Amino acid sequence: MYENMFTAPKKDFSIPQDEGKSATTKKTGTSLQEDINDFNKDLHNFYNIGFSRQVISASQLEDVVKSKGRFIIKSLSTSPYFNLALENYIFKNTPRVKKGFDNCRLLFYINDKCAVIGKNQNLWQEVDHIKLKNNNFELLRRFSGGGTVLHDLGNVNYSYLTSRENFETKFFNKMIIKWLNSFKPELGLELNDRGDIIQNGFKISGSAYKIAGGKAYHHATMLLNADLENFDGLLEPSLPGNMEWESSGVHSVKSKIKNVGVITPGQFISLVSERFQKTFKVDDNIPVYICDEFKSMNHEIENAMHTLQSNKWKYLSGPKFSVRIREKDLKIKVEKGMIYDCNRSELIGLEFKGFLENIDSYT
Amino acid sequence: MLRSTRLWTTRIPTAGKLFLRNSSSNALNKNKLPFLYSSQGPQAVRYTTQHEWIAVHQDKTAFVGITKYATDALGDATYVELPEVGTEIAQGESLGSIESVKSASEIYQPADGTVEEINTNLEENPGVVNEDPMGDGWLVKMKLGEGVNVEQVEGLMSLEQYEKTLVHDD
Repeated sequence: MYENMFTAPKKDFSIPQDEGKSATTKKTGTSLQEDINDFNKDLHNFYNIGFSRQVISASQLEDVVKSKGRFIIKSLSTSPYFNLALENYIFKNTPRVKKGFDNCRLLFYINDKCAVIGKNQNLWQEVDHIKLKNNNFELLRRFSGGGTVLHDLGNVNYSYLTSRENFETKFFNKMIIKWLNSFKPELGLELNDRGDIIQNGFKISGSAYKIAGGKAYHHATMLLNADLENFDGLLEPSLPGNMEWESSGVHSVKSKIKNVGVITPGQFISLVSERFQKTFKVDDNIPVYICDEFKSMNHEIENAMHTLQSNKWKYLSGPKFSVRIREKDLKIKVEKGMIYDCNRSELIGLEFKGFLENIDSYT
Repeated sequence: MLRSTRLWTTRIPTAGKLFLRNSSSNALNKNKLPFLYSSQGPQAVRYTTQHEWIAVHQDKTAFVGITKYATDALGDATYVELPEVGTEIAQGESLGSIESVKSASEIYQPADGTVEEINTNLEENPGVVNEDPMGDGWLVKMKLGEGVNVEQVEGLMSLEQYEKTLVHDD
């Protein structure tokens, strides 16, 4: 795919201005190849990579992450597993500073089609995992809290990392709003009380946070030119038998979404990078690093990718829940993905996932 | 030193120095299990830089929670993730996490120990962590590891020391 980055046809990248009813306004008839070419061109422009910006090696990545100070890092990978693992690596290895000058990091990444649920969510209540599979969306459980979001190549993720002491959930989105509105005042972006960014009442950006080891990050999505029609129904589980759930854990707050429209992923990344460099500069200029999943890969990132991909993390973690399936007269209690109590004892000890996949055999 | 005239304070004269600042919101709630577990009250209450507290009783049973300062900063808890009973957890390792307003916050083990009981009330009522973080909002009851003395564990602080770090933070 990266070869395409340098051979994309030279046509103007233009994006339809979505107006609210995102589900019905979208570019139709574009082939996957055109999408990929568009995306690569976009990446090429924004990242400004050409041949002058080198992808950093694993050892360079380790050096910059473990050193003090502030930097911006952009991932060329579109693998959600790599990108979340990279973010986790940067987060864990950033040195903790108790006082004074903090180690800020700003990461950008764009994930190919995926649904990402919060750490403490019951995935069966949040997504339609069959539809996700049929539409080639990966399913991930992230390390941070919050609700479920959908990603594709028209969505940019930004992740701002700082010390726990300096962390304030709404801080970075206030900056983003200020920067984008000053770039194009007609955008009219606002912050809602959940810390998400909205435009004309539609959500365009969702946030989640993680606090650990004296540090914190705020990561967020930004819908710029996502294929929203493809998102339809993916977050509405259509499980058999009228399931009634009872679950602790975190439930997503449903919001109507739209694309920002007038800003491309590339413009967004370069604008936010530039404003970040100006605003957060102390003495030296804030450097920008580029990484990918080949040259910059290391064991720790690989391990986190394995965790994210594992059955255990995806399906056998998350909150306890119980479910009643009236049609089948079943009452099931699940902890860590396993059925531990049920009015039909032969189900006890089964993985809930496996049970669901074979639900038709239980009458 | 003990200004309170309530009866139980006279019962724990040796522990009096722990409660110099019993008006502090980060002091252990004296009317709840983490304090009342043993008739003498805890031998020591210590704090971490990551805002956990640990209250250790004479039989080496300890309760762990997070401070009022931390829960105020986190906002309303929506989910509390706790370890499995029987797990041996070393100091500094993850003990669980608290989710609040879309933030997942890691909680760390203040001193080596084995989980004996988790506060299952928090499964249904995570908000108790905000309402009474120094009492009913305890997270884990554990047995300290062999030879662990929290008064000698590096990095653990008295209430006074802990609250000084908070002043520095601001």
